Order: sequence, then C-alpha cells, then structure tokens
Amino acid sequence: MAVASTFAKRSRAGRGVRERSGAAQAAQIQLTGVTKRFATPSGSLFTAVRDVDMTIEPGKFCAVVGPSGCGKSTTLTMVSGLDRPSVGTVSVGGKPVDGITAGTSFMFQSDALLPWKTVLDNVALGPVFRGVPKKEAQAQAREWVRRVHLVGFENHHPHQLSGGMRKRVSLAAALINEPSILLMDEPFGALDVQTKAMMSNELLALWEQTRPTVIFVTHDLEEAIALADQVVVMTVGPGTVKDIYDIDLPRPRGAVQEIRFDPRFLELHHHIWESLREEVERAYARTAKPASANGGQS
Amino acid sequence: MSAVPVNRSSEPVAIGDLAAAEEAAVAADVRRSTRSRRMRMWAARIGTLVIIIGGWQLLTSAKIVDPFFWGQPSGIVKQLNNWVQHGTEYGSIWEQIWVTFKEAVLGFVFGVAAGIIAGVLLGMFQFLADVASPYIKVANAIPRIALGSLFTVALGLGAPSKVALAAVLVFFVVFFNAFQGVREVDRNLLANARVLGASKLAIIRHVVVPSALTWIIASLHVAFGMAIIGAIVGEFLGAQKGLGLVIASSQNNFNPNGVFAAIFIIAVLALTAEGLIGLLERRLLSWRPRSQSEAVGA
Repeated sequence: MAVASTFAKRSRAGRGVRERSGAAQAAQIQLTGVTKRFATPSGSLFTAVRDVDMTIEPGKFCAVVGPSGCGKSTTLTMVSGLDRPSVGTVSVGGKPVDGITAGTSFMFQSDALLPWKTVLDNVALGPVFRGVPKKEAQAQAREWVRRVHLVGFENHHPHQLSGGMRKRVSLAAALINEPSILLMDEPFGALDVQTKAMMSNELLALWEQTRPTVIFVTHDLEEAIALADQVVVMTVGPGTVKDIYDIDLPRPRGAVQEIRFDPRFLELHHHIWESLREEVERAYARTAKPASANGGQS
Repeated sequence: MSAVPVNRSSEPVAIGDLAAAEEAAVAADVRRSTRSRRMRMWAARIGTLVIIIGGWQLLTSAKIVDPFFWGQPSGIVKQLNNWVQHGTEYGSIWEQIWVTFKEAVLGFVFGVAAGIIAGVLLGMFQFLADVASPYIKVANAIPRIALGSLFTVALGLGAPSKVALAAVLVFFVVFFNAFQGVREVDRNLLANARVLGASKLAIIRHVVVPSALTWIIASLHVAFGMAIIGAIVGEFLGAQKGLGLVIASSQNNFNPNGVFAAIFIIAVLALTAEGLIGLLERRLLSWRPRSQSEAVGA
C-alpha cells in the first residue's frame, strides 16, 4: 500500500501524481528530512521536530499520534505554510510549500470562529476571502450549514452554541472551500466523549463525500485508528517518525463507537500501543524527573 | 408498567398545568422582588440628591458656608433661568452650548479616526511600531493641555484651535486602546483567516478591527470626556464664544453660581454623549454575550 517513510522522494512523487488523477482533487503531502528549530526567548535553540520523513498519498486519512510536545502541531503548521522548516522540504501536490498552501483548510483545537459573526457568516468566510460575491458565498454557506445539521442556527452567534455545535460550524467552515488537504490539530480534544464520537462519525461521513487528504493530529489512539487509513507514531520530542501503520479496516467504517469492538481493531490497537507506550513513558519520565531533582526547566 | 398507557391521555396534561402554574408563580415572585429592589434603589438615589442639594442650600443660607465663594443651589437655578431668559454677555446660552458641543464633537471625530488608523497600523506592522515607539512615549509625556496655547496662537480664537486641542487629547486615549486591541487579537483567528486565503486587507477588515473594537469602544467613553475638556480649556485660553468663556468670565466677575451653572450644562452635555456612545456600543458589540451585570440590570 501507499505508505512510506522514505528518502526516495522522486519515485514516490511520481506515484502520487498518478493516483491523484483518480482521487479527484486531493493532493499528496510529502515531508522530506524536515527539521524545525525555534529560538527560545533566552536565546538558545529548541528543536521541535527532527528529520521527519512522511508521505501521505492523495485522498488518504492519516492520523498522527505521539506524546505531548513531540512536534505534531509544528508539523501541521509547516504543511499549511504558516511556518517553514529550518531544514528539509515540505511539498503538497508535488510542489514545495512556499507561503500559504493553496487548497488547505485547518481545524484547530480551540474553535477559530469569529465571535462577532453569525454561524452563516463564519461558514461563508472561506468563499468571501477568495473573492466570491457575498450572495453566492452565503448560498454555499447555507448548503454547508445544512450538511452539518445546523439548519435554524444560521443567525446565531458562536457563544450561543454548545461546544459540539461550534465544532460542526468549524467543520463546515473548513470544508466549504473543498480543500485538497485538510489539517486537523486535535479538533475534538476539548469535547466530551459522547460528543467526540458523534463528531467523528460526522467527520467521516463528510470526508467520504469530498475525500481530501487529511492529517489528523490526536492524543487518542482509539480515535486515530477508528478514523484513519494510516497511523503515524511520533517519538518523544524532538519528534521524528517512529513507526507507520496501515489501518486495513474496511470503509465505510460506520459508527466509531462500534468499530472499536472489531477484533481487527483490537489487534491493531494492541500493536500500535506497544510502539506508542514507550514514547509516552519516556515523555512522562522526562517531565517527572526534574520535579524530584531540581524544579524542572521552566 | 401496564397502567402507563391507560393514564397517558390524562396525566401529562395535569402535569403540564401544574408546571405552568408553578412557573407563573415563580415568575411573579421574581418580578415582585425585582420591583421592590428597584424602588428601594431609586428612593436611596433621590434621598442622596436631596441631602446633598438641601444640605448645600441650608449651609449657605445659614451663612455657615459663604455663598459668595461657594455658590448656592437657588442661585444656580436663578443664573440658569437668567441665561435662558436674557442670554449671556456673549449672546444666547444656546449658541454657547452649540459652539462648545461642535468643537468637542469635531475634535472627538478627528481624534478617534486618527487614533484608530494609527493604532491599527502600528499594531499590524511591528517595524512601524518599533520606529514610532520612542516618539509616542515622548509625545505622551508632554503636558498636552499646554499645546492649547500653541494652537490658540497658531490657529486663532475661532473653533479650529479648540478642535485641535480636543483631537490631540482624544487621539492618545483611542490610539493606545486600538494598538493594544490589535495586539491582543487571537493568533488562532489570524492563522485560520490566513489559511482560508484572506488578504492582509481582508484580515484587517474581518478579523483585526472587529476584534479590537471592544477595546476601542471602551476608550470612547473616556475619549468624549477628553474632547469636552479640550474644548473648554481651549476656550479658557482665548475665545469669542463658548461655555469655557462663560466660565472664565463668571470667574472674573466673582460669580460662583455662573461657574456652577456652566458646569451643570456641560455635565448634561457629557451625559447625553455618554448615552449615545452607550447606544453605539450596544449596537456594534451586539454579538457579545451579555455580561452578568447587564443581565441583572435589564
């Protein structure tokens, strides 16, 4: 299957182009030898991610799991073009990322909804920013509000909605541009367990309609396996790719609440958890040790 | 359990009636306690006014406090009445009010516009802010009232010198708030707008300015007070018309009642403007959740 942690960039990219003709508009995402360093306020260098090689084929749903502070979010911002790698290249659809990547949508953990705009205007932002006339943008937004089951809430402001509803608005706002890649940074992390499961189902249903390439960052391994075609495990920071697993559960997957009892699911979970556990334990040891020794680094 | 279907037709109706009655009783209770609380509040307010004005009148009538220096409520009312009947020494009282009001409003408008533009520009472009910051600190340290002398000399005894002084006073209040407001814009919202393809101008219009508006509008309350101070002080320094001039001439004639009467008119003016700004605030910030205090007051 099309899963790789590789230096063989050229051949991979070639295959990506062939596959893309089949998967409508989704784009391949490729990171090659990507390292990101930040200067800390005290002047020293902090390495967030190191030598990340990752290829995600067009239209694939890739989940990235790893302990806290392993650079998962940094990886996403580099793919979106909000930030640049210090070393290495990120390319989307065969083209190196330079500036904001066209055809990208980003979903953050906190809702990035504008509190002074109504639900409808928030969803219409994407088309409005791309220069679509307001009337038409609102018509498109109305359709997406319907798809996320928020009919009747068009004129509400975000603070009048529940957390799950705000997430659905964010989802509609992210998908209305029909992105070729969708980047999600723990989008459902702040939701309660039931709402999270409902949102996962909704995400899968919508994703299957347009099939953009997805990178989904999460802490939750069950969520990752239930949703994704491929699960990337990252090491403790500075993060790098540790293992990549193919999730061969058939699609459409149906309710995520039920798939977690599937024997194959349990097998995969057991397998990937073995890999993830080591990193989580190392991350934990790192935060626990300085506390007993000398106050930690902060 | 088997009895439930039989009862279904009658029981919910009974419960519904009971609930409605209970609801009405609770609502009436809340209304009653709100009304009595409000009546007590107004009684206390009026009582305070009576004590202050009545005490003042009594003390001055009994010559414990000398009305020649401190004025007297009855004298102030007489003075106001006299102005309305016969006008001031510079023409009708309405004209004086209009002149001062016009100067304050023009100064307010120019100062607010300049403050918002400068604040947004410097907030958006770090380089500009770095270049301008020492100059702004110096300008802010100047006793700006003293600039009034300069404006009177340069712009003459007419309205422009007062408008300029009012605008300068207003500018700094609004500028610092606009600048801070722009700096405080949620990074997530900016990143999201950029990923959705917003141009710099679209970001300013849809994200930065609405977000900073909370800060800017908060500053307008203080700013209008500043505009009135600018207009009055400008008139002190040299004018042919205006309430400031009326105060100055009352001072020269040892007429404290005239000073108090003019102060009273200015206070009414300021409160009216405050009310209008409050209306504007409610309109522009209607998207905000109502705060606790507003909810109680309503």
